[in-house]
Parts: sequence; structure tokens; C-alpha cells
Amino acid sequence: MAGQADRGGHDKQRAVALVTGAAQGVGRATALRLAADGFSVAVNDIADDGRLTELAEQVGGVAVPADISDPASGPAMVEVIAGRLGPVDVLVANAAAMAMSPFLEAEPAEWWRQIDVNLSGHFRVIQAVIPGMRALGHGRIVIISSGWGVIGHPNATAYAASKAGLIALTKGLGRELGPQGILTNAIAPSYIDTEQLRVDADDAGISLAEMRQRYRELIPVRQLQSTDDIAAAVAFLAGPGSSAVIGQVLQPSGGVTRTGA
Amino acid sequence: MTPSGTRPVAVITGAASGIGRACGEVMRQAGWRTAGIDLKESGADLPLRADVSDRAAVAAAVNQVTDRFGQIDLLVTAAGYYEEGIDVTDITVQQWDRMLSVILGGTVNCCAAVLPHMLSRGTGAIIAISSELALAGSATDLHYVAAKGAVLGFIKSLAMEVAETAIRVNAVAPGPTDTPLLAEDSLWREPDYLATLPLGRLVKPGEIAAAVYYLATEGSAYCGEVLSPNAGAVI
Repeated sequence: MAGQADRGGHDKQRAVALVTGAAQGVGRATALRLAADGFSVAVNDIADDGRLTELAEQVGGVAVPADISDPASGPAMVEVIAGRLGPVDVLVANAAAMAMSPFLEAEPAEWWRQIDVNLSGHFRVIQAVIPGMRALGHGRIVIISSGWGVIGHPNATAYAASKAGLIALTKGLGRELGPQGILTNAIAPSYIDTEQLRVDADDAGISLAEMRQRYRELIPVRQLQSTDDIAAAVAFLAGPGSSAVIGQVLQPSGGVTRTGA
Repeated sequence: MTPSGTRPVAVITGAASGIGRACGEVMRQAGWRTAGIDLKESGADLPLRADVSDRAAVAAAVNQVTDRFGQIDLLVTAAGYYEEGIDVTDITVQQWDRMLSVILGGTVNCCAAVLPHMLSRGTGAIIAISSELALAGSATDLHYVAAKGAVLGFIKSLAMEVAETAIRVNAVAPGPTDTPLLAEDSLWREPDYLATLPLGRLVKPGEIAAAVYYLATEGSAYCGEVLSPNAGAVI
């Protein structure tokens, strides 16, 4: 049941996925999983310090480093990918900027940077991939939101706003693009064991180990989620088994959010 | 989620038709052993005839499963029936009670029978089939909607109750699905209604089974989740 990335019918070419924010964490795990499921994978991140190219080589894909808050980046990436791999069948909107601070102390530039990357940046990347998906007659857009976009979190107003905005975008795109065969869904993870935990630990003024323990206590299943858990959810939403799933928000969070979005 | 080397075992209620049957087919294709509980004969590896609203009959059926296979890795509760076109004031006490006893009671009975086994093994997954109508509400089928909504409350709470074990409890809330439960003249088959869905069509039973399969095989991060393969009926 796992990925069936053939582009259906007469065309045996492998389907193409673009993953933003793929240098590490969830993005990297997702790129590896989609490649294992048979996709050609283009990997984006804000810069290539060598990890992106290495990952691209590992998955037999292409590296397209770009700052997605730059309006020119989306069309440029799509053009490179089209030339190297073909049109994008699956977009995984994962890149995120994050900074924590109390609302009134937040630096406006830092606050808005999170909106610019997470929400506006992906809006533009989505705009760039839609014409190709329309031409294909199908497509999948998988948006990585956050449990904090569902239930909020102190000292994370910008991040939560950007991620909640992505949920609303998911629902709107689901309705708008569904009739064209383009399915949009979101995933709202909560506490994943990634390098992001270090940011949270610094904000709380505690060690990484203490941060892990503190989060475990907030999770009903008492386990941090792994990047592979989230990659599996992406693989489901990108694969053949989710053909009736549209405009939904999956919450593989160990029960943290416990609510509909 | 299962010990390596043994073929995992799924108990599926309502296995003789519709969503339950599709779930059985998908799990068998993936190499699972299946036990089907239904009023009718099912195509499961171990077909068992029982009324899910009968607690003792369910317990006896589940005992037969453990006797035969030695383990239960997954419970899917798909048994149910549907009635529509009844004004709320016309729903009789009998209609209400029967709907609750089959859909909610059947789910509860199956969980009660299977959970001790899963707790003793320390692993397992329970997936209840609810309905998008439980999320969005509906008209002229209020007893069905109430029962399916009650299933969600039950499942979310049971999920929390066993959260610290490796047992995962979740629900799938299908949209209108092309099964024998939907009569030929069902309102949900009308073109005017289908045109309101973003996908413009009924959901196929196999699409529900695919969601069940995903939760059963890669769903360890979900706890009390409601997964909605619903063609966009509820977004």
C-alpha cells in the first residue's frame, strides 16, 4: 500500500515530489521516505551547506536551495525541477522559520519573518506548482502545520499564527482544487524529537534532556514523535491510499491536541 | 507494531459487506490473518457469526479468535446499519435503542472483549468506524448520527485511558460511501448532493480500508485521532 509513485497509465516516469525545508528533521526524513516509495525527490532548503546536495544525491533527486520568502524562488525552483525531473506531482510544504518570545517583546521583523516564510512563502510555492499539477490533471499538496497552530502556545504567537494560517489555507485549497483532482491536506505534529527542541530548550532556559522530559509529560502517550512518524503521514497523504482524503488535518501527536482543527 | 515472523491478526466486525469487507480484503492482501464477525457469513480466514450488540456472543467470538490464532493485533469495528428519511419526532424508542445498541454497544462490546488480550500483550490497535455525519450533523437520521457521535466520544476517551500503553485507539470517519448500507434511492446518491462534494463522488469502500490500513500499520503516533476519508464532505 505504501507509495505507488508511477505516474499512472502509459507514462512510466516516476512521480516527482518537492520537499521544502529538507536539510534536516522532518523534511529530510520525508525526502528519504518518498524516495523509498518511488518518487523522484527535489529537496529545498534556505541554503545548501552541503547537506542538501548530499541528500539530493542520496535520493537520486535534485537540490533546489532557495529562500521561499523570496517571491521569485517558487517559479525558479519549479523550472529547475521541470528540467531535471519533470513537473511536480507532490508538494510537501515543510520549511519553517521559528523564534520564540513573549508577544509584546517580539521583534517585529522576527515576528513577521515567520509569517513570511511559513505562510506567505508556501503560498507562493503552491502558486508556482499548481499550473503543472493542473496540466497533469492531478496533484497532492501536503502542508506541514503544527499542533501549536491548532491549540496555540505561549511565546509562539507568530509561529502559531503562521501554522493556523496554513490550516485555513489547506481547507480553502482542498475545496478549491479538489474538483481538479488536486488534493490538499495538512499534518499537525506536536513534539517531535528534532533539533528544533534545542530552540525550545533555550527559550525555557533548560537543557535538551530536561526539555525532552518536560515534553514527554505533556504527551498522553509519553513519547516524543519521530521524524519517521511524520514522514509516514506524508507518504500516506502523497500515496494512493488517501484518494478520498481532502482538506483534512492529520494530528500524529500522541494525543497532544485532542481536537479537530 | 507486531512481533516479527508472525502474521498479525485483525478482528473485523461487519466483515461480510461494505467497509468491513474491504478492510478484510486489504488486510489479507497485506498478509494479515483475519477474523470476521458479522450476522452473515464473511470471507474472512475465520468467519464468525455473531450479533455485536450481544456482549456474550462477542466475547465468545473473540475467544474463538484467540484460540485459533493466539493473538489479536487489530480490532476494526465496522458493523452497523443505516436508516434515513425519518423525521426526529417519528424515531421510535425501538429504532433509537436498536441503533445505539448496535453501533455504540457493538463498539463497546468488541473493545471490552479484545482489550484485556491487548493489555496483556501490551500492544494492539483499535480502529472504530464512525461517520462524517457525527462531525457535521445531519437531518432525518438523527439516531444514527447520535450513535456515531457517541462512538467518537467513547473512542477518544478509551484512547486516553490506554495512552501510556502501546495500544492505540483511533477512529475513521468516512464520508458517504458506496456500500449496500446506502439504498439505491438514498439522498446521498443524488447527483445534486454529490455535486456539493469537492471530489464530486461517493467514497469507495477500499478508500476507507486504505485509511484503516495506514492507521493499523503506521499509526503509532495517533491517539484518539479521527481520520476522515470523506471526499471533502466535512473539511
